Amino acid sequence: MGWRLAVLLVALPTIATPEQQPHHKAADQPQVLAPGYSVLRFPAPAARSYSLPSLGKAADGVLLDSSGTPATLHELYDDKTVVLSFIYTSCPDVNGCPLATFVLSQVQQRLSSDESLADKVRLVSVSFDPANDSPDVMADYGDSFRRHDIDWRFLTTESEERLAPILNDYDQAVIRDVGPDGELIGSMSHILRVFLIDTNKHIRNIYSPSFLHPDILLADILTVTTDDLPIDQ
Amino acid sequence: MNTYTHRRLSSALIAAFILIFGGASADETCMSPYMAKIVGQEDFVYVWTLGVEGVGDEQDKLVTIDVRPDSDTYGEVVHSLSVGGRNEAHHSGLTDDRRYLWASGLDTSAILIFDIHTDPAKPRLSRKIEDFVAKSGGVVGPHTNYALPGRMLLTGLSNSADHGGRTALVEYTNAGDYITTHWMPTDDNLNGAEKSGNFADGYGYDVRALPRRNVMLTSSFTGWNNYMMNLGAVMADAEAMQRFGNTVVVWDLHTRKPRKILDVPGAPLEIRCAWGSRSNFCFTTTALTSKIWLIYEDGSGDWQAKAVADIGDASKIPLPVDISITADDQQLWVNTWNDGLTRLFDISDPQAPVQIMEQKIGAQVNMVSQSWDGERLYYTSSLLANWDKVEAPDGDDLQYFKAYSWQDGELEHQFTIDFLAAKLGTPHQMRFGAYSLYGK
Repeated sequence: MGWRLAVLLVALPTIATPEQQPHHKAADQPQVLAPGYSVLRFPAPAARSYSLPSLGKAADGVLLDSSGTPATLHELYDDKTVVLSFIYTSCPDVNGCPLATFVLSQVQQRLSSDESLADKVRLVSVSFDPANDSPDVMADYGDSFRRHDIDWRFLTTESEERLAPILNDYDQAVIRDVGPDGELIGSMSHILRVFLIDTNKHIRNIYSPSFLHPDILLADILTVTTDDLPIDQ
Repeated sequence: MNTYTHRRLSSALIAAFILIFGGASADETCMSPYMAKIVGQEDFVYVWTLGVEGVGDEQDKLVTIDVRPDSDTYGEVVHSLSVGGRNEAHHSGLTDDRRYLWASGLDTSAILIFDIHTDPAKPRLSRKIEDFVAKSGGVVGPHTNYALPGRMLLTGLSNSADHGGRTALVEYTNAGDYITTHWMPTDDNLNGAEKSGNFADGYGYDVRALPRRNVMLTSSFTGWNNYMMNLGAVMADAEAMQRFGNTVVVWDLHTRKPRKILDVPGAPLEIRCAWGSRSNFCFTTTALTSKIWLIYEDGSGDWQAKAVADIGDASKIPLPVDISITADDQQLWVNTWNDGLTRLFDISDPQAPVQIMEQKIGAQVNMVSQSWDGERLYYTSSLLANWDKVEAPDGDDLQYFKAYSWQDGELEHQFTIDFLAAKLGTPHQMRFGAYSLYGK
């Protein structure tokens, strides 16, 4: 971390909420965890009491599953309600990719107690670091989180060239961090986006760290699995 | 994207970007909490500018000003992109990933989407939305362009049925596709909201979100009939003066349902929320009654409104316009358009703000934007085409962009760009840009 950057970050208010925190924090700054790690501090929305209009069709793309077999996003969406998360396994920011995986693991816990709902839902985690996140790496990563009775897939892509159109279609900007001499240092800067996609392959919500919470996600899943949004919306 | 020069890296470090979690915004401290923030030196200020008959090409334009102190073109207009007509250019806003700048027109209801990430020094027009009124179901006058995750929320000021103040919130995807419309609650349709006082006018103006409390606030101004009328004519028309907003609405952020309508009489305009994790309050100012109002969550979790300070002498109609809260929630800049003053309030006790300084900026002053660290402030002059002053005392600037530094209690002038002399038009909303946001 450059000296000038550190100075700037130290100057940030220590009362900053997770939403306000920089990607990289100085070591002596307190870390404010995103709401998804704790009890929701306001009443969760009552499922089906509100609507989640379509944000458009979820794009397709070619991936590799954790056994290295090609798979498309639309095949994965199948007739399921899907929670799609873009991550990379070496992400160092507790309020970034680890938050997404933690919240999905909490959703997984809730689904495990509702078999009929669990049958309708698929969790999908896709790496945007194909150079380091091979299918084997994704398999190992997934084994750390996935329950045997829940449909949670961990995928990657064959190459940056395969990945780029997917990130573009999902409006997922990713910048590779570099060191003082321009060398890649392994971490990436990105906005965390998690997508809720219905059985018609329409995006119904996009989550950021400030409201990516299992209680909210469950309410939204219940809302879209039971509504009758027209296919052509 | 993966290769950077050393110069670029330095730039990236100076203007650290916060992509996973945005910083706070008083412009950089006043924007959506979902947005990436520039916490160091901004490189450019984008100024959404009204075209004026007889001035240059007479078109609305996005003007890019270089504000890098070490640049050969520091303090100069480095790019100007005209958009082919006049729309009553007013407010603008950035998408959550800060790659696009949305700028809207209050008269035509056009929305221009500019790509600012491909070349931050040379924005280019990416898309123009011309069917906002039809798509939204009759909303007129898109005002605030506010970033939500993966989407933009626009406040309306009016409607196509009577061009009065009843209006709505309208959602679009980041790509510019219409999603849905949420009409403001009225006496005829409270839509489940609690009417806590005398008013449920259905008017709109600004919007801000407090995600940690699942709260969204909207304020209220006036409709097309008034904001497109000459200001003197409005002031002289008793009936027109009755058609200003008197409400702030508290919404459920997640469900987009109105929860409570608060009386805030006198046209509450800009809303600025505190950033502290336990600071559950926001400020607004009323244009007609010249007061600072505190909108706050009380001990029981209910939201209330309270007038907490006067801004100048209301009888002299100072007309408070833009406000800007500092990143530490300790101070609030308040511009008063009519006397051209910027005023600084100590808000360390949000229940009792105290004005601690004031300084003349020009013949009129509207918008103020400050850097994250509060050390740089930028001002523009234009309010509305038909409300702006047309002449100024000798030596007093009329239509300008001005840069100041703010250190040790001194607001020190850095440079001025006279927008009329430069044949640009009249400048309104400012937004910051930086190469480092895009790894450049």
